[in-house]
Amino acid sequence: MVFEQIINGLTLGSTYSLIALGYTMVYGILELINFAHSEIYMIGAFIGLIMVSVYKLPFIVALLLSMAASCLLGIIIEKIAYKPLRRANRIASLISAIGVSIFLQNAVLMSAGPQARAFPANFNVTNLRLGNLQISSLQLIILLVSVVLMVGLHLLIQKTRLGQAMRATAQDKETAQLMGIKIDQVVSFTFAIGSALGGAAGVLVGIYFNSADPMMGFFPGLKGFVAAVLGGIGSVPGAMLGGLFLGLIEMLGAVYISRYKDAIAFAVLIFILLLKPTGLLSRRIQEKV
Amino acid sequence: MRKQSKFLILFLAVVLVVGLLSGCGKKEETKGPDISRGEEETGGKTTKEEVKEEIKIGTIGPLTGDVASYGISTKKGVEVAVDEFNQKGGINGKPVRLISEDTRGEQTETANAASKLVERDKVTAIVGGVISSETMTAGPITNDAKVVMISSSSTAVGVPEIGDYVFRNCLSDEVQAVQLAEFAVEELGLKKFAVMFTNNDYGLSLKDAFEKRAKELAEVTGIETYNDGEKDFRTQLTKLKGKNPDALYIAGYYTEAAKIAQQAKEQGLDVAILGADGFYSPILVELGGDAVEGSVFTAGFFTDDPAENAQKFVKAFKSKFNEEPDMFAAQAYDAAMILLTAIENAGGVGGEAHQKEMLKIKDYPGITGSTSFTPIGDVVKDIIILKVENGKFTKLR
Amino acid sequence: MSYYSQILTVIIINSILAVSLNLVSGYTGQLSLGHATFMGLGAYAATLFALKLQSPFLVSIILGAAVAAFFGFVIGVPTLRLKGDYLAIATLGFGEITKNILLNLKITGGPMGLRGIPKVTNVYVAAAALVLVIFSLNRIINSRVGKSFIAIREDELAAESMGINTTRFKILAFVIGAFYAGLAGGLYAFLFRYINPKDFGFMRSIEILCMVVLGGMGNTYGAVFGAAIITILPEFLRSVSPVVAQYRMVLYGLLLVVMMIVKPQGIISESSLSNKKREKSLEKGGL
Repeated sequence: MVFEQIINGLTLGSTYSLIALGYTMVYGILELINFAHSEIYMIGAFIGLIMVSVYKLPFIVALLLSMAASCLLGIIIEKIAYKPLRRANRIASLISAIGVSIFLQNAVLMSAGPQARAFPANFNVTNLRLGNLQISSLQLIILLVSVVLMVGLHLLIQKTRLGQAMRATAQDKETAQLMGIKIDQVVSFTFAIGSALGGAAGVLVGIYFNSADPMMGFFPGLKGFVAAVLGGIGSVPGAMLGGLFLGLIEMLGAVYISRYKDAIAFAVLIFILLLKPTGLLSRRIQEKV
Repeated sequence: MRKQSKFLILFLAVVLVVGLLSGCGKKEETKGPDISRGEEETGGKTTKEEVKEEIKIGTIGPLTGDVASYGISTKKGVEVAVDEFNQKGGINGKPVRLISEDTRGEQTETANAASKLVERDKVTAIVGGVISSETMTAGPITNDAKVVMISSSSTAVGVPEIGDYVFRNCLSDEVQAVQLAEFAVEELGLKKFAVMFTNNDYGLSLKDAFEKRAKELAEVTGIETYNDGEKDFRTQLTKLKGKNPDALYIAGYYTEAAKIAQQAKEQGLDVAILGADGFYSPILVELGGDAVEGSVFTAGFFTDDPAENAQKFVKAFKSKFNEEPDMFAAQAYDAAMILLTAIENAGGVGGEAHQKEMLKIKDYPGITGSTSFTPIGDVVKDIIILKVENGKFTKLR
Repeated sequence: MSYYSQILTVIIINSILAVSLNLVSGYTGQLSLGHATFMGLGAYAATLFALKLQSPFLVSIILGAAVAAFFGFVIGVPTLRLKGDYLAIATLGFGEITKNILLNLKITGGPMGLRGIPKVTNVYVAAAALVLVIFSLNRIINSRVGKSFIAIREDELAAESMGINTTRFKILAFVIGAFYAGLAGGLYAFLFRYINPKDFGFMRSIEILCMVVLGGMGNTYGAVFGAAIITILPEFLRSVSPVVAQYRMVLYGLLLVVMMIVKPQGIISESSLSNKKREKSLEKGGL
């Protein structure tokens, strides 16, 4: 039974990681908390749903299309709502992000209606047994996809020139620009990738719980953000770790005191922040005088 | 100079505020905002004279936000009732006009919506709130204004007690839960109950009543909770599974109940699923699939009810909205019908006369059951028990 | 109570909330995403004093505010050691924890909330409270304490090296802000006669933050103005036309974005934004 619980926690946690990556990458470059990310996740889920139920496309295709669409959405949002505020104070961008979030959530609510819709997995879901242990093929697929995406991201950031440009920009925007890196492009790309991951998370979660609704982004978004901070905001491996960690804590909390499980998750977060004020894996340079 | 500019700004702000407010007022009278359905018998203009020529009723509920589906269903149910009244000529010849306000499920909005309906639109009566906390907020306001308000879905303790002018026609949580517990033990022979309840007033009242009665008659093996909107119940279910229950009582709404049933089955907790009126919805089976087959729950309504008035309602609803009505819509329809009937009996007015007529309602043949009111405005009603068989709902009792 | 006076009362209560957050975030520069928590704690405390101990209105709300201030201290001490966005997250975390606890305790009524609160708050009561709050706030801001707050906002390291005990002052700002927020919460409870944990959650905190930012951070009257705008906007949109009413929230989101792009400093802004200075120093090359 413990094994099952751990799998539950890890599966959910891996989706938090995907969401957290979106937040952390954007923050690393712009120091902006992209509140609209939770809506990109939700829209990703809806697009995936449409691909699967209306166009009857296979899962992988639907996933990729949804990621592409989220990617595009992220870029558009950045250009319209964040770019004009890049020189302004950070709170203004924060409020703008909140505005985008409210706008998107309600736009989808108005057009799709508030009903939760069934999001069927169009592949066979079976339970795999190993002795006493049980894991659903759905959970396995989610874990697999998440891992593939995260590994892909890691390779992108560490081994490609684009990744190098992203890292440089995150470290010191001004210098990077002086070195010839086109900041605007890098920013757009960061949003593109982060949003694609968010959209993927939306599809995965949609299938996992067999449902999509316009409000589905709020709590996972919040938790994804918490996971990003937990791991050290701005740190990619930190976001991955933070998500898994949060999923496990939530599961543990639910096992022991299910009524307070949200409180427990946050309490652990605060506790960790107090011990390590910049998150578990952060490597941000401290302020110098 | 600084102090002066500060005061100037404050002054401007106040002027702006007052200006906007009074500006709103003027717009109100010329445009007559409302989201009423298409019937344009009178054109819905709101000049002072024509106001007396129509009967206005309002709805208060969440039309946007995370509980919007309940608010929207409620509004639709009321619309069908209003249509029906207007088709037979309105009340004493005056057409009925519906004004719907959105609360977003939020307290300040609810209070504003209630005040607006009562004071600016001067409605005769109101159907609302949808969730109990709305009724608790709007109730004192409408009660003070002596406008009858009937809620078709606020099942929490304390609602009718708000005041003489607050009524409800929805099944009380306690009665539902107790009756289902009795049915489960006596008719279905179940002995060990696990409970999952949604952590809000609805779930809590159901769980408390069910637990108490089930413990008297049999055994409760475990109780777990969850929140609306959550999707993952595996942790709680794994815990409940450990105690080997033979039934699972889910005190919550269909969206989550469907998932809980599915995940329970996945985990091998393949037991009888029991529930309350929150289960009823045309999409329960769609969301829950095989897992909800065979589940038994208390309800006030179902679309396959052969009764004539129920079928008439379903038909009207389907032709207007192109979808099947759910529990909220059905209850709202009954609430509106009762409300309007009482207005008619009172001679077309609201206020005290209306309130008295409401209390006189006895055994009203509603589609959700024969309805009467207690002196404080609570409901007295039958309870139906439904079962999901072959993807359809059948009546067990 | 009439529709207009109800809206006006809410504007006034929101103003108290906005100026209290402004003290913490605008003047002292500590971003708090959990301010509504103190409003909630004040509301619940005031309500419980009134319902269980039959204490009169004035006593109840002041005690409520004191309870909120106490929690401001309890939460502030560990949290204010964090900086920037980490502080923000911690405040958010505490907000969710508090809401969760309020939802589960029997004495707070759990998800049913508390009802049957007598109706005492009206426009005059609220206005009186606002005047007192602004008056005392101005005194604080113009004193040495206030100047220390601003110093912390501008450059915390420099303030520290000038001998200002930044942690102590940050906590002080937090506690004062919590007191006023708790006061607003008490007024709120005695206005709507029913309170519920959902009304004091993250969305409310964000709403208060929007009021402060829209009006102009670091400016008390700006905060009042922001409170007025944010309170009136949904009601205004509601009454324009039924079509607009349905799309209210969509427009609201759009308006927030537009307002920020057009006037990122907020509509009435007087504060010397530390970020502006940071931009300038960055241009010169280096921190």
